[in-house]
Amino acid sequence: MKDCVRFAPMLGAREGELTQDEQRALDAHLEGCADCRATAAELAALDGLVGESLMARANSRDFAPFVDQVMARVALRQAQGERTGSGATARARRGFLGWLFAHPRAAIASVVPVVAVAALVVYVRSSSGGGSGEVAMFEMATEGEVTMVLQTKDGPVVLLDDGEHS
Amino acid sequence: MLRTLFAATLVTLAAVAPGIARAEVPVHVRVIKGLRQGPPKVDPRLDDLRRQLSPLAYVRWEQVSEKRLDLNRGRTEFVELPDGDTAALTLQERHGDTVTFEVALTSRNTQSRLTVQKGQRIVHQVTGEKKGAALFLTVMAWPP
Repeated sequence: MKDCVRFAPMLGAREGELTQDEQRALDAHLEGCADCRATAAELAALDGLVGESLMARANSRDFAPFVDQVMARVALRQAQGERTGSGATARARRGFLGWLFAHPRAAIASVVPVVAVAALVVYVRSSSGGGSGEVAMFEMATEGEVTMVLQTKDGPVVLLDDGEHS
Repeated sequence: MLRTLFAATLVTLAAVAPGIARAEVPVHVRVIKGLRQGPPKVDPRLDDLRRQLSPLAYVRWEQVSEKRLDLNRGRTEFVELPDGDTAALTLQERHGDTVTFEVALTSRNTQSRLTVQKGQRIVHQVTGEKKGAALFLTVMAWPP
C-alpha cells in the first residue's frame, strides 16, 4: 500500500515524463500490484478516449479556407509592395518611416509639440515686430458724424463735420 | 514618452504664454489745437506731426496737453478735453507692429476704428470748429 501511494502519481505520466529509474521502479511495482495495474489501464483507456475525441473534433474542422485566406493575404502584401515601389522604398520604410507607419499615434504625439512650438515662435516673432521701416497701410472704419478722413503716410487724419455741433 | 512630450509642451506654453497675454501698448496721446487764422506757426513739440497736419486748412498749431498711457486690449482710457468733453481711446487689436484703436466721442456720437503701424499717428478731430479753431487728438503707439 505504501508503494501504491508512492507510484500513484506516476500512473498517468506520459511517455518521457519519467526518468529511467522511475520507469523501472514503476514497472516493477505494476508487475506485483493488480490494483495499480487496473488504475493504469483505466487511465490509459481514458487518455485514449480523450485523445480520440480531440482528434475527431480537430478533424471535423476544415482549415482549408483559413489557409487560403492567409495565402491570399500574403500574395496581396507582396503585390502591394511591388506596386508601392522598389526595394529602396521598402528599405526606407523599414527605417524611420517604417517606425512612423507602425506607430502613428506616437508619431503624431511627437509632431504636435514641435508644430505648437514652431507656431508660437512665429507668433511671438510677428508680435515683437520686425521694424521693416516701410510705410504701413492702415485701415479705417468710422461711425457717426465723421465727414472726412485723410490718408497720409504718417497715418490717418479724421475730420468732423462742421454742422450744428460746432 | 507621450507624457514627456506633453510635459515639454506645457512647459513651453507656460514660458511663452505670459509674453503673449501681455498686450500692453504704450501710447503718446496729445490734444492739439488748430487755428485757421494768424501767422502760420507750429508748436515745436508738434514737429513730428508737421507733415501730417500740412494738408489741413489750419495754419497755427498748439499743443494743449499730452499724456502717456499704457493701453491694454479692450480697456478704455479717457482723455479730458479743454472744453469739458471727453474722448475715449480703446486698444481694439494688436498684431505685431499693427494696432487698431477706437476713438469715441460721446458728445458727437462718433466712433472711429483706426489701424496704424508703428511710427504712424492718428490725428482725430475731437471738437467742431468754433471761431476758426478746432481741437484734435493725436495718438502714437510705441512713442520713441
